[in-house]
Amino acid sequence: MGFLVWLESLPLAVWVVESPSVWAQPTILTLHTMGMAVLVGASWVLDLRLLGISRNVPLSAFRWVFRAVAVGLIVNLITGVLLFACRATTWGTAIPFLIKMCLVIASAATLLPIRSYVLRSGPEQREVSGNARFLAIASILTWSGAITAGRLLAYTVQ
Amino acid sequence: MPSITSLNLAHLHLILNHVPTVGSVVALGLLLVAFVRRDEPLKYAGLEALFAIAVLTLLVYMTGIGAHQLLRNQPELSENAINVHHDAALAGFVVTEFAGFVAWIALWQSRRRGRAARGLVPAAALLSVLALALMGRAATLGGDIRHPEIRTDVAAGDAAAADDSERFVTRRISAYMVNSTWAWPAAETVHFLGLSLSFGVLLAVNLRILGVMRQVPFADVHRLLPWGMLGFGANLITGMLFFIGQPKQYIDSAPFYWKVVFLMIAGANFLYLTVFKKGAAVDRWDSNMADKAMAVSSLLAWLIVLYAGRMLPFIGHAF
Repeated sequence: MGFLVWLESLPLAVWVVESPSVWAQPTILTLHTMGMAVLVGASWVLDLRLLGISRNVPLSAFRWVFRAVAVGLIVNLITGVLLFACRATTWGTAIPFLIKMCLVIASAATLLPIRSYVLRSGPEQREVSGNARFLAIASILTWSGAITAGRLLAYTVQ
Repeated sequence: MPSITSLNLAHLHLILNHVPTVGSVVALGLLLVAFVRRDEPLKYAGLEALFAIAVLTLLVYMTGIGAHQLLRNQPELSENAINVHHDAALAGFVVTEFAGFVAWIALWQSRRRGRAARGLVPAAALLSVLALALMGRAATLGGDIRHPEIRTDVAAGDAAAADDSERFVTRRISAYMVNSTWAWPAAETVHFLGLSLSFGVLLAVNLRILGVMRQVPFADVHRLLPWGMLGFGANLITGMLFFIGQPKQYIDSAPFYWKVVFLMIAGANFLYLTVFKKGAAVDRWDSNMADKAMAVSSLLAWLIVLYAGRMLPFIGHAF
């Protein structure tokens, strides 16, 4: 709890929460949404491919997805930390927020084996293993859960 | 002479309201001539017109609600006649969007397999005929608001039913969205899932044009577009639920204007990507500068739609 109080008292956190500027919390929230679109959108495109949509495309062509995912993750990590810090004592003790964090970590975790699978695939490889398909389904579901939890935070945590 | 800056939403509604009716007649005419002459390119033009009408009808519907807000508190106008018109317009809107959607599938299939599934183009045409009928009815009822001389008996029972808002589908949707605990949060969740799906698909398709995944023929990423359409469809439905639910939040909002303007640009772009003919089965096809500019503008338009949408509660004072 002491850590959360300290986090909330940081000058940057105070600025985010108190500034009336649209460049403070509103812009950070918006960047968080854009990061989500890039991160989840790119993940889902790869998941669709693993599940057999546009199966003519060799898996190796999807390497760009991980660069897009990295951009989305970095943007959302930075904006997420800022949004967390400015209301740390609220978020840090709210069960719905902790559920969202678990789902985000689970979704990001599915990306690691998917990434190594795609990077290991041959230049012309088009067939997908059962494990990879399972991971793709897990990825779609956990990201959906993370977005759902994130959106409902606005209504469940005051 | 009125200047362009004095144009308000009621003006815009009066200008744009011809698109669904006159536009459908033109699109149906194109499809009919294409059928008689067995002219394929003309058929595609007709289908493209149906898609464009569906996109523009969004503006017609929204400016209509804007006009309604402007006409509030004018005692000589019947609120009842406006609600009757609004309900009729919603029915027309739904069928118009559906016609545009079916036309889009036909275009996508034609681009992919050389021809649309049997029955799809007639289905689009039939839906367009139905949309024309419903929009014609909405137009007549809209005319009734300001023109007592043409008023039909539909709006005649005005005074008696003045406060009976439960009769109107649009009023019921609005009440449900505002009063239900879960409707708004659930629709917002779907809206965010839909935007992620749409954006991911458009990212992939546009990145291909920009030169990423160069070894892949364009037709193979084109295969993803219906998933983008699925996300967009979910967002159109949930977005309209928000808009019908709380129109006042959006009608006076500057970021909402920008969101809708860039949605129109993004819609044009989506059509462009659907019928895009280059690099179909060509490995290592390289796009030219114009294609790249189009791809960049597509991604930028969607980012602006996202930005304006998320900033709705923070810019201006409508919320």
